[in-house]
Amino acid sequence: MITTAQREGNAMLAIAAREITKGIKNPVLMIVSIVFPIIFIGIMGGSLSQNMAGGLGFNYLQFMMIGMIVNSIFTGLITGMSSLIEERNQNMTQELYVSPISRYSIIIGKMIGSSFTSLVGLIGIVLVALIMQIPLGGMHIVYLFLITPLFCLVGGSLGIFFIGFVQDSKTADIGSMLLVMPQMFLSGAMTPIQHSTGLLGFLAHIMPMTYCIDLARSVFYSGTDMYSKIVLYNPLTDLAVMAGFFLVFTIVGTLMFTRSERNR
Amino acid sequence: MEPMIRVENLRKQYKQGARPAVDGVSFEVGKGEFFAFLGPNGAGKTTTISILTTTLSKTDGEVMIAGYDVEKEASKVRRNVGIIFQNPSLDLDLTAEENIRLHVSIYGVYAYRPFYSMMPAAYKQRIEELSQVVGIHENLFKKVKGFSGGMRRKLEIMRSLMHNPQILFLDEPTQGLDASARQSLWTYLQKIRKEENMTIFLTTHYLEEAEEADRVCMITQGKVAILGTPDEIKHKLLGDKTMLLRGEDEAALKEELDAMRATYTEENGSLKVVYSDKTPQHLLSQLHTPLTRLDIHQPTLEEAYLRLVEQSERGVSL
Repeated sequence: MITTAQREGNAMLAIAAREITKGIKNPVLMIVSIVFPIIFIGIMGGSLSQNMAGGLGFNYLQFMMIGMIVNSIFTGLITGMSSLIEERNQNMTQELYVSPISRYSIIIGKMIGSSFTSLVGLIGIVLVALIMQIPLGGMHIVYLFLITPLFCLVGGSLGIFFIGFVQDSKTADIGSMLLVMPQMFLSGAMTPIQHSTGLLGFLAHIMPMTYCIDLARSVFYSGTDMYSKIVLYNPLTDLAVMAGFFLVFTIVGTLMFTRSERNR
Repeated sequence: MEPMIRVENLRKQYKQGARPAVDGVSFEVGKGEFFAFLGPNGAGKTTTISILTTTLSKTDGEVMIAGYDVEKEASKVRRNVGIIFQNPSLDLDLTAEENIRLHVSIYGVYAYRPFYSMMPAAYKQRIEELSQVVGIHENLFKKVKGFSGGMRRKLEIMRSLMHNPQILFLDEPTQGLDASARQSLWTYLQKIRKEENMTIFLTTHYLEEAEEADRVCMITQGKVAILGTPDEIKHKLLGDKTMLLRGEDEAALKEELDAMRATYTEENGSLKVVYSDKTPQHLLSQLHTPLTRLDIHQPTLEEAYLRLVEQSERGVSL
């Protein structure tokens, strides 16, 4: 006899596998995972590195690569979660909503599946880094990859929070871009933010991705001379803030999403 | 015996709506019954079916499905119903089998496995049987994107039966299907209904599909306008069933009809005779006068429905 917990776990696994299967079958995902790093790290990063990064005192492309790893995960998770809105509008997920499983299982399953496809997307960044001869930092990059599930959780929870307040797919499309783009520019993914002040400084410090990127860099640069020049906060502070964001976003987002789905 | 569906004073007021979409609807559906729920666009059919299938909250009233409350025991309700939506809800990027595997996994019928070959033998056997019955066996491992509308519907029906539901909700299931696909679908649905004693709750715009229903409920403007068997509804909305007869010997024909105590009136040189059986065969078999005209008018549910809509638009209550 199957227990409720087993049934929910089974459903989560099936929903996650659906995302992964769709991702594997979709060549666009593979193309995007290569094209985006070429545009951002190769073209934009290369140009900034050659023209403006001379006096930084650290390898700019390496710095940016870490930021883009976290950014890529966030983008994948937010767009993955917001696709629930589009799928709901196109009736593709009606099947899930009338099944005897918890809404939490649907959301967590979706988050696991989107995490997998986001992490696969990191292959493109590594390939571009290898081609551009950006130092991967030996074991440091391995440690960084080991903590990527934490970034998936925070990015996914931000996606859940977002879909809790959005009803239609057009708003979801535009909104997810508005959620991703400012974080990419303000959270330190592409440029250092140590000297950000005023409104930009304030915005930088209320963005969840800021703390994820900072934790990623603290792991990647730990034990090196660059650590003090690059890392903003103590890793424990980053972790605490990330945990706070995760809990608030997940609880509020799931409640709002479940309510908006049935209370029309 | 507890009905499979019990709806009492159901009311739904949308946040943006000027008036309730469903306003005090009540009905019951028994086990194994084929129940048709009809009404014009905007009458409240889809709202009602959405509440019954737990995808929408009600504003007021009580709804019990298979003995469970739709609000408090939504999960148990979902386990006991199969749903075929108005718009296909298949994942077009997956194969037919992958869609079904997802379904049985989220319903907890079988543990999820990443490949078909790893699924249990019972699953493979069930999928084999059902795909043969609905006629999509050859396409089980093809992407749904390439399926015709009829094949997608068949796949949805097959999927909805995988967890052995007690009640099957069909929300305009044949929308967009050609006549032959519609017919084969109904042949199959009637077959499984009889075999499994399954309750069927149907909404449709093809009223000939509702002719076979045990009972029909018609709603207009969110309220139940009429509820009964198709014959009762036709009788109530369209009056008596009649046929036009003309005999070689009119006097002899009238004599025979009088002897049978049949009700008739004269109309343009013919006799308009009322009959009450399902067909006029019994009455006709007793006539000996040779007939020169026989026009039987078999009222349809569609005519009854159109009469209801017309009356509703004129504000006439039944």
